[in-house]
Amino acid sequence: MKKVKPLVLIVDDNSINIDLLVNTLKNDYRLGIAKNGAKALEYADKHLPNLILLDIMMPEMNGYEVCTRLKAAIKTKDIPVIFITAMSEEGHKTKGFEAGALDYITKPFHAAEVKARVKTHLSLKEARDQEIYIASRIQQTLLLGQPPHNIQGIQTAHLTAASQKIDGDFYDFFKHSDLCFDIVVGDVMGKGIPAAILGAALKSHLLRVLNELSFLTNKNNLPEPAQIISSLHKQVIDQIEDLETFATLCYARFDMARYVYSFVDCGHMRTIHFNNDTNNCSLLRGVNMPLGFPEKQPFRQKTVRFKPGDLFVFYSDGITESKDRNGNLYGEKRLVDFVQTNAKIEPGNLINGIWNDIVAFSESETFDDDVTCVLVKIDKRASCSVSSTKSKLEIISDLKELEKVRAFAREFCDRVKDSSLDARRIGMIELAVTEVAVNIIKHAYKSRSGEMIQINAEAFADEIEIRFYDWGERFEPKSVPQPVFDGSRECGFGLHIIAHAVNEVLYSRDDQGKNCTCLKIKLTGGN
Amino acid sequence: MELSTEEIGDITVVAVLNEVLDAGNTDEFKTGFASILNESHKMVFEMSHVKFVDSSGCGTLLFCQKQLSKLGGNLKLCGVQEPVRSLFELVRMDRIIDIFGSKEEAIKSFQ
Repeated sequence: MKKVKPLVLIVDDNSINIDLLVNTLKNDYRLGIAKNGAKALEYADKHLPNLILLDIMMPEMNGYEVCTRLKAAIKTKDIPVIFITAMSEEGHKTKGFEAGALDYITKPFHAAEVKARVKTHLSLKEARDQEIYIASRIQQTLLLGQPPHNIQGIQTAHLTAASQKIDGDFYDFFKHSDLCFDIVVGDVMGKGIPAAILGAALKSHLLRVLNELSFLTNKNNLPEPAQIISSLHKQVIDQIEDLETFATLCYARFDMARYVYSFVDCGHMRTIHFNNDTNNCSLLRGVNMPLGFPEKQPFRQKTVRFKPGDLFVFYSDGITESKDRNGNLYGEKRLVDFVQTNAKIEPGNLINGIWNDIVAFSESETFDDDVTCVLVKIDKRASCSVSSTKSKLEIISDLKELEKVRAFAREFCDRVKDSSLDARRIGMIELAVTEVAVNIIKHAYKSRSGEMIQINAEAFADEIEIRFYDWGERFEPKSVPQPVFDGSRECGFGLHIIAHAVNEVLYSRDDQGKNCTCLKIKLTGGN
Repeated sequence: MELSTEEIGDITVVAVLNEVLDAGNTDEFKTGFASILNESHKMVFEMSHVKFVDSSGCGTLLFCQKQLSKLGGNLKLCGVQEPVRSLFELVRMDRIIDIFGSKEEAIKSFQ
């Protein structure tokens, strides 16, 4: 296959210089030309050249400023820049390097020198890109596991965004039975391929340890997390010490039969535990040193009880250490606050929300560190008998469908057989579902007919959830004015009615533009 | 929209025969209402057949009341069933439109 020639952007206001450079480089490269700073920035942003030759002395925006701006933009910051200058004084060179240039060429040009420098820097850039590619392949294939399937009573969501400087973030899940699984999250100090390989090595040692220990213990008596980490530590300590690095790690077990969470934390980020009953977050931290430190004490394990509806958030320092434009850190507190406020929305939507919040904070979608986050949510259903009551309905966006929606809600409530669902309450639920459906048809779909609305109802031990999904406009509850009750207005009561007809209303929207309106109706549990 | 009217003196009693008054039929209701607007601007809506009203339904009743009062008349309701009545209270409509237990009481209130 023929390789596409690299694209080199020449920035100079002088036509003679441009001609000289073009003649020197035209056989080996594709060339772009910009005659001033503004055009250069525009071209770089649009075409992402492999290398830029940048003249310093230009009217309006000089080369230093162009370079500074290129380096400040995520898209263009890694493009190698070589200054071309008629001035050979040290001061100008230093200033160029400070602005982020890799090299300089002085005028008058020597064709051979120009060719050699361009070639060298393109080769170096290619080598760097290749390393990043290999490291990210290691990360994707060896370091990040898939959440377990068929674990009763949990939902998981995970998020990874590899930084350009790959480090050794890893996580994995180990399923022991339908009611028990372990999760490990870790972060190897250091960056690039060495960190990624060490992360992969740690994971493979961990698998070996798990395997060996399970042979020694019977199936109903799993090795404890502390035992697992002690064995892992013994296996890897010498190698890690030789590499002069260390890894932080949290190894945790979810016992869904006893509702117990046991974990060994070795200096990793504190896991957030959202307690559904108290609506509060606590931060779980262990007492052990990171792996790779010469640990004399035995590894200590801690235990926490959890309940249906609780949520655990595991994450890497890539999240808490992402920075805004002024260099302020995102921080643990902001993450905890975000989780606390949004803990009740679906894990998939919550993790998208976390991502959007970090992106909004840092005004960037690429980060210095890997960003990883894993959510484990304990279902409400888990407290209920195994079979929960579920029902689905799909309607098109037509106001004539409203009776169908009410019948669906009515019949579902009848099936749930809870003593608190009397005729009056069911009447209110019918009212709420009508109002939600009308809002979706009129506002989300702007009265277009033929659009789809999905309605899922599910009963848990202590509540019913009715979820409406639509793919229309985003809904901002805050943008809706308060209702006016003096008879002067004939509309605007819908939200007021919904809020009074059910116990809780939650709105969310995912990345694909799918809106979810979730109505929650508390049950007393009687029949 | 099924509306049956009965003239009692200068008062029009309108029996709303639909079981539902929601966003799906409020436009028809308004059309039906416009067609029975006559000399008399005093109206009683007899609501005993109506089992379900939503916020659009409430809005429509407020609309009818406003039209009538602009013309110097008024709207009263009677026979409102319990679930519908709770909704009226929720959106404070009971303070804007008088609601009576029976048709007779509603008619009497105009005198």
